[in-house]
Amino acid sequence: MRNNVQKYMHVIRELFYLRFHGFTVFRLDFFAPFLVDGSLFFIQLLAFGAVYSHTDTIGGWGKGEMILYIGTFSLLNAVNMTIYFFGVNSIPYKVRSGQMDIYLSKPVSPLFRLTFENISPGSIPLIIMSLCIICYGIHMLGMALTLRAVIAYGFWVLVMTVLYYEMEVILRSASLYVDSMARLEQLEDSCIELCMKLPGIAFYGGYKVIFYLILPYGIMATLPVQRLVGDMNLRTAVYGIGVVGVFTAITAVLWKQGLKHYNSASS
Amino acid sequence: MNDVVINTGSLVKQYRRYKKKEGVWGSIVSLWKRDYETKNAVNHIDLSVEKGEFVGLIGPNGAGKTTLIKMLTGIIAPTEGSIDVMGYYPNDLKNEFKKQYAIVMGQKSQLFFELTVNDTLHLFQAIYEIPEAEFRKNKNYFVELFGVRDLMDVQVRALSLGERMKMELIVSLIHNPKVLFLDEPTIGLDAVASRQIRRFLKEINEKNGTTILLTSHYMEDIKALCKRTVVINHGSKIYDGMTEGLFEKYQKNKRLIVTFREPQADITLMTKDAVVIENDSCKKVYEVPKESARDLVSEIMSYEPKDIAVEDEEIGVIVERIYQERGE
Repeated sequence: MRNNVQKYMHVIRELFYLRFHGFTVFRLDFFAPFLVDGSLFFIQLLAFGAVYSHTDTIGGWGKGEMILYIGTFSLLNAVNMTIYFFGVNSIPYKVRSGQMDIYLSKPVSPLFRLTFENISPGSIPLIIMSLCIICYGIHMLGMALTLRAVIAYGFWVLVMTVLYYEMEVILRSASLYVDSMARLEQLEDSCIELCMKLPGIAFYGGYKVIFYLILPYGIMATLPVQRLVGDMNLRTAVYGIGVVGVFTAITAVLWKQGLKHYNSASS
Repeated sequence: MNDVVINTGSLVKQYRRYKKKEGVWGSIVSLWKRDYETKNAVNHIDLSVEKGEFVGLIGPNGAGKTTLIKMLTGIIAPTEGSIDVMGYYPNDLKNEFKKQYAIVMGQKSQLFFELTVNDTLHLFQAIYEIPEAEFRKNKNYFVELFGVRDLMDVQVRALSLGERMKMELIVSLIHNPKVLFLDEPTIGLDAVASRQIRRFLKEINEKNGTTILLTSHYMEDIKALCKRTVVINHGSKIYDGMTEGLFEKYQKNKRLIVTFREPQADITLMTKDAVVIENDSCKKVYEVPKESARDLVSEIMSYEPKDIAVEDEEIGVIVERIYQERGE
């Protein structure tokens, strides 16, 4: 077990070095994620400003909580962009082109290698910007932070980062079963766009079932913020952990079974 | 001691192909009802390969060679039949199994194009958990063997196709695999590069005792390297035996490609059974029984050609003759 962890840490380190060397060749690749994501980030802030110029609360949350929410969602998204988005996003291409053959024939988990193969340091400034917004939200709410609250918040951000990752892998695992999956990626984009603007607590009825259970983007930033502002009860916490557990199992099964379905493109 | 490293029994791989009826109506109907046909890419193949063997796998395009290799490496799962490679069921995708073989695909690179080979080698050192001393020893051995010391720090995209294939082999062999699967390693290479690759493969097989399974379209590869050849067509094995015997028995003709500096009128050949295949003014192609090839070359030399190339018959012709002999 320990040897395995050491091996995988070593592989991550080598993948990071490779990526870094790659960036020194193509500088634009380094700065592009920051420029693109930074623009989206500011559009998001402007939209949020426009909404709050007309209303005081959304789903019971005031401006301070909403700033925390936007900062948290941006943080999740920035971590995603920095660590695994570009790698996971390449899965359908690798499947269609038959490049997955190379990953399957190496003694390291193909998903692990794909996850960490395209780390994007250019997105790190977005993490910092997100943290600044979170700090501003905390300041706006006049909260007295305790170490315990910070650790608990960090824990929930970590758990929801895993959920975000699992949703990405699940949707892209579809390429192992079907030829075309462009619509699924559109669905993902639409859900993320909506849930970046509206916290989970704003959803009711069928929408709540969709965004809390089927496509749980609604809980990703909501739960960490609820924990930070002291709004999370035990039932919500158990529910959050339960959803992540279920989606972890679904991801593992879909990926493993998908590899059995993999037919490899003809060369 | 059991020396069999690859053993398959009645191995089958089926693919389901969607058949769409032509026209707009066919497209509309296909939304609800689809017709599929099942294709046997590999059809009940029994194959046994012993440790240290160098086996050639030949067949026309779409014969099932690559599909067989993909099943032997675990990349795809078989539909039916048994398969055992070094005691493992390949599609279990166990890391212990993957550490013992290597695969080189002529049309799929495992190198990072923007980086150097040294960069890729360091990643592979981590992936295969190769101790530093062993890594250095292996790297030096292959770098010397392939004569590529000056190219190790060159961006892969700047290498020629032949140099790139040498690098593919180095990164594949760095962990000393027991079995090496080669899928068209000389595809697209010129004669010099192909010859070099063949020489290296021969040395790796003879010195390191690496078992090698090679698919190739080029008869030269198979003749020069493999004592044993398996011929596959339409997914079925139609010949499994000595390479020498295969070519002795089924390869009856040679093809001469002759080019001239100046345009030539029609040449009336004296060599027995020589047939004109192509007759341009500056380029002529002849087919001749292999025992008369020497006579034809001598005859052509009197016309002072610019160049003469002698080629073997294509695999398709050999496959046809095997079928003819079997009365199919």
